Parts: sequence; C-alpha cells; structure tokens
Amino acid sequence: MEAQTQNTSLQRLQNVEKTIVRVLELAGGVMDELANPTGPRKEFISTHCRDFMQMIKDIQFTLRNEIKSACEYRPFEKSDYSSRISNELCCSKLDYVLSQLDAMKLAIANYHLHHPSPPLPPPPPPPTV
Amino acid sequence: MVENLQLAHQELSVIFDLINTVEANDSVTVASMTNPKQLPKEILSDLAVSTATKLQCYRHLGKYFKQSAKALEQQVTREAKFYGALIRLQQNWKVKRQRVAATASSSEGFTIDLFDSSLHSSAPVYRPSSLSSICIDHNSAGMLAINLPPNSCHSLHFGFLGVHSNDITQKSSRNRTYNSVELPSKETEKESLNENDCVQETHSLLREVHRSIFDEQVFDMVNREAFNSSLGVNVTGIRENYLQLGMGPGNSVFVSLVSSKDDERVEEERPQNLKYAVFPLDSLDGVKIAEENSESFNKKSVLPNFIIYEIYLKQIFHEYVFVRAKDRPTSTAARVSGQPTKDGPGLLGHFCMSLAHRIFSNKVLTKLENVVCGVSYLHLISHPTWHSRISSWTIFMKVPRSILPASSQTQASDIPKMKNITKTEFRTKIVVNDDSIKVEAEGAPNVVGLLKGSSENVYSTNKYDCDLASLPVIVLQQVASQVVRWLHEEALKVGIKANRDFLCLSFKLEQGEIVSLVAHVDPEDTEGCISWWLVMEEGYVGERKLHMDVANGASECKKFLGYLTLDVLYSTLIDLVTLCGGSGTF
Repeated sequence: MEAQTQNTSLQRLQNVEKTIVRVLELAGGVMDELANPTGPRKEFISTHCRDFMQMIKDIQFTLRNEIKSACEYRPFEKSDYSSRISNELCCSKLDYVLSQLDAMKLAIANYHLHHPSPPLPPPPPPPTV
Repeated sequence: MVENLQLAHQELSVIFDLINTVEANDSVTVASMTNPKQLPKEILSDLAVSTATKLQCYRHLGKYFKQSAKALEQQVTREAKFYGALIRLQQNWKVKRQRVAATASSSEGFTIDLFDSSLHSSAPVYRPSSLSSICIDHNSAGMLAINLPPNSCHSLHFGFLGVHSNDITQKSSRNRTYNSVELPSKETEKESLNENDCVQETHSLLREVHRSIFDEQVFDMVNREAFNSSLGVNVTGIRENYLQLGMGPGNSVFVSLVSSKDDERVEEERPQNLKYAVFPLDSLDGVKIAEENSESFNKKSVLPNFIIYEIYLKQIFHEYVFVRAKDRPTSTAARVSGQPTKDGPGLLGHFCMSLAHRIFSNKVLTKLENVVCGVSYLHLISHPTWHSRISSWTIFMKVPRSILPASSQTQASDIPKMKNITKTEFRTKIVVNDDSIKVEAEGAPNVVGLLKGSSENVYSTNKYDCDLASLPVIVLQQVASQVVRWLHEEALKVGIKANRDFLCLSFKLEQGEIVSLVAHVDPEDTEGCISWWLVMEEGYVGERKLHMDVANGASECKKFLGYLTLDVLYSTLIDLVTLCGGSGTF
C-alpha cells in the first residue's frame, strides 16, 4: 500500500474501493497462472497471494477505523438558510449599486463628451541664460 | 481401442440375451457384477480429463475476476464522481436520505431539503412549498443531476403601474440567475461537462430554487397582510400570482410572482393589460388610471426605482421572519434600524408608508434643488438618516469673512450671550417625517427681540412646519433673513447702528432719511430667487416697516439692485455705511 496520508475520509474510502479492485485483479492473475498449461510458477503465485492477503488486511484496517470514527448522522442543526437568503438580498443590493455606479460613469463620460476640456497650454520654454 | 470395443460388444450381446430371456418370461437373476478393472491408461486419461477441466475452470475464473475488476473499477470511478459532487453539495445544503427499496433507477433515495425548519417554530403560516424537497438523480452520464420542471421557479416582482421597466441595467441583473435553468437541455454536451461544472450548475440551480421559495413566502405574506391590515393599503386588483395595491393619489403598485422563463416577455405587456383588468373598488379608480397615462413621463423621474423597493420589501419580510424565529433576544429588534415593532400597522403598511414617504421626499428634493440652483451661494447637503421614513437635508450658506479683525468688535462685547466669533456659516435644516415637512433655520431674528426693539442678537433657531407648496418660499425667506442678519452684524462691526427687520436692513442718514436694503424672494424667478432693492424714505423716524408700503410711493424711491452675490452685497453695505458715515463711530 502506498504510504500516503489521505486527507479526508472520503479519499480513504475511495482508496479502499480501488484496493478491492486490485484484489480482484490479483485473484484473476493467480487463477490465470494456475491455468497455465506449462504449470504454475511457484514464486509468482506466492508473491501474488502474499499481496492479496496484505491488501485484505489493509482494507479491513481502514474500514474498521472509518467505521469507528464515523459520527452519527445528525439532522442539520445550524441551518444557514436564512443567512443565505440575506446574502442573496445583499447580492441584489450590490448589483443595483453597481448599476448606479455604471450609470454615473456613463454620465461623466457623456459630460466630457459634450464639454470637452480646453487643451492644456504648452509648457513655457526654458529660460535662456 | 479395438479391444475395448470388442469387450463392449461382448457385454452388449450378454445384455441382448438377457433381454430376450426376460421377454420369454424366464426368471432370471443376476448373480453378481464386478467392475472391470481399470487399465492404467484409463486412470491416466481420466486424470488428464479432470485436470483439463479444472484448468478450464481456473481460466474461466481468472477471466471472470478480471472482468469483474474492470466493471467494478468503472462503477467505482463513476460513483466517486457522484459522491464527490454530493459531498460538495452537502457543505451548503441539507442532504437527506431515505432507504427506499432498490428501484431500477437506483437513485438511492437522496434528496436535498430546502425547507428552513428554523422558521417553523412560530405559527403555521408557512406552507411548505412543493419545491422544498428536491430529488437527486443520476443523469445519463451517471453524474449527479437535478431535474426540475421547467417553470417551477418564480421570482417576486414589484413595480409601479404605468411605468415601463425597460431599463437595461435592471434586466441584466436578473438575466444572470437564469442560466442555470437551462440545465436539463445540456444533456447533449455531457462529455464536455466535467465534475466542477456539474457541481457549480447544480449549486446555482439550488440557489435559484431556494430564492424562489423565499419569494413565494414573501408574496404569501404580502397577500395575508394586504387583506388583514387597513392602514393605507388598498387592494385594487387581484389575479393569480398578482396583487395590485393603490396607495394615495394616483399611485398604484403591483406585486407579482412571475415564472422565471417568461419574465422578460410578459413584463412589457403586463402594465397595459392590467389597467383594463382592474376591478374598481371605488369610483375614483378610473380617474386614477387616466391620470397615470398623462403623467407617466413625469412619474418616471419622481418615482424611485422599483428595484430598490423590491429589495426593500424582501428585506423587511426577511428580517421580520428572522426576528420572529429568534424571538427571545429582542435586541435584534433594536438592531433593525431602530424602528419600533411593526406589529401595529404591519409590515406591508410600513412598506407602503416608506414608499409614499420616498415619493414625497423626491418632490421635496426637486423643490429644494430648484431653490438652490436659483441662488448661487447656496449649497444643498443631504443627510442619510438610516430611517426609511425620515429624510433630511441642509441648505448651507457660507458668507465671506469680515475684512476687520475680531478684536474691533467693541460693541459686541457688552452683550453677554454673544460669542466673539462671528457666524460665517448658516444652515437651514429641512426634515421630512413621513409627509410632514419641518424647516429649522438658524439666525433668523427672534420675534421677541424684534418687538423689544433691542439690538440683542439671540442665536435662535426658528422651526416651521410647512407644506410642499410653500416650502420654497419659506426656505428662501429664511436664507434671505440670514443674509440680512449677517449684513447687520457686519454693519455693527463697522460701528454703524442699523435696524434689522425680517428681510430688511435700514440705516439712518443725517437728515433723517432712511435707506433700506430689502430682500425679495420669488421661487419662480428664473434668473435668481433672491433679489435686492434699495429703498429710500424720508421723514419716517423711529418707525419700522414690515412691508414695503407701495401706496405711499410719493415719499419713497426704490432701486432694483439685482441678484447680488454675497461679495457684492458686502461691498454695497460698505458703500452705504460710508454714506451714513457721519453718525457712526470707528
């Protein structure tokens, strides 16, 4: 088994599922080897069986831990649905304020369009000494 | 092989004889039978056959295991996506599971519950919406999907009758929430939808439904309140998912629940349609509608943007519900913008009064703006009051600083109450409370002081209640009297004794003539609202006039000075002062 630390229990459980898949593959490989017309190779079979047993042990270990640490499913105690609604209201307020600001920007742009500011006077020439 | 066949042939002939004998009804008994001893070759071949069979079985098993492994892997990855998405949704929404019997669709009974149980501790006024519980399914790609009937989401709309809401900005903010409703039609693009997109779309869809449930609740409560309370709320029309209220003269608003799909198309038509569908509850309704037609253009500028009030309506109902659910700590009620408990007129009444107040204060603001535009030295300041039914503005005037230093005010020091610093700013405060206007002006002359004839300067603040029509005149009069008071103080500083009337400043010349600077206010004047006249009278010593006595025109002459700025007024004053310089002391 890989010696990685799994962050969430979901990832651990997903790993368990992948391990089960590998266990099945190993079993299939062992069976194929046994069905080998030239006779099975002993070390092949023994390594595979050792891996099989190891994986089963790991699966059992992980599942036992997960079952111990799984908390019971409590109904949703602290519901945040009403603060979610106030968030939605705030979003709509923000939308409105943004639209007002955009309108102000447009008004400023229009103003500058209709009242172009006079061009700046050229800088005075440096005094000749 | 041949020997085996011969042996078999012999055995067969024995059997035939036996059968013939039995048919001939002779009794026959079998003595004994022994298995022929197996030849070693046969043993070996039997063993070979069974070994081959076992090998075949193993191969079969091996293939079976490998196939199962592949199928399980696929199922595991598919379900990993499903459960991963489900866990991400669970961080935000309530997920429930019912252990139903395994159906063919294998949906495993997950539902998302959008029902807010914290609201239900109070009265059973809230009926659970049919949308509250949403089933989670697998879509065709095996990923998490939510199927909603297409027009199930509604949103609350508020608006004014007769005003078209074809502002682009308002539409764009609503369009943003509609994209998620298109989810069921995206089945064809399932390959390109990765897990993130799927979860995000589901999430926004759930948001949409949650908000729609809230909107339905608000509409429900509005309906309830509209028929229960009677304070200023008049129901003038009702249809399915639509309620029309009349408030005050010529204003009609509607509150409706509109399905999200046909929002934009219907909105344009709705205001016109419903003008004819209104059931008149009193005879003036026809008149109201006619008025709206002609004034619709004016209304657009006076009426506040309907989105503001839509949001406000939702907000006050949400806060009410929120406060009600957490009933115990009443401090939250105080936090709700310091307003008293709304159980009296009800929320809808409060809302309608706020709306009426806003419309009224918009009119007040227009008048104030006209006044301030008409006088060049006035500034309009608005004050946020954080109260939805009170608005407040200040008209601010800054006068030019005196050219004389403060130490030369010898005359002022013997009046105990007067400060050494002269007033350089004058404020007139206008407060609108629901629909009553109060004007407070500082620096206007005290009536008592006037009657006493003393030159006491009392820092009084005059308060007036007025109505909308007379507001500009009153404000202008206050401002003009503040200017006159300033000029009076400046004259006193220079050492000239001047008499101050409400809008008039008089100086006595050597020969007993009286020269007065008089202010005239006219809010309709387009060139300026405050104009100044110079009036010269002879022979009236010691009498003070409150108006210009036009009938006695023979002994007066008036000169129109124009719409003077404060600097020009000040220099005019100095000129007048030098005119009567003989009677003053420096």
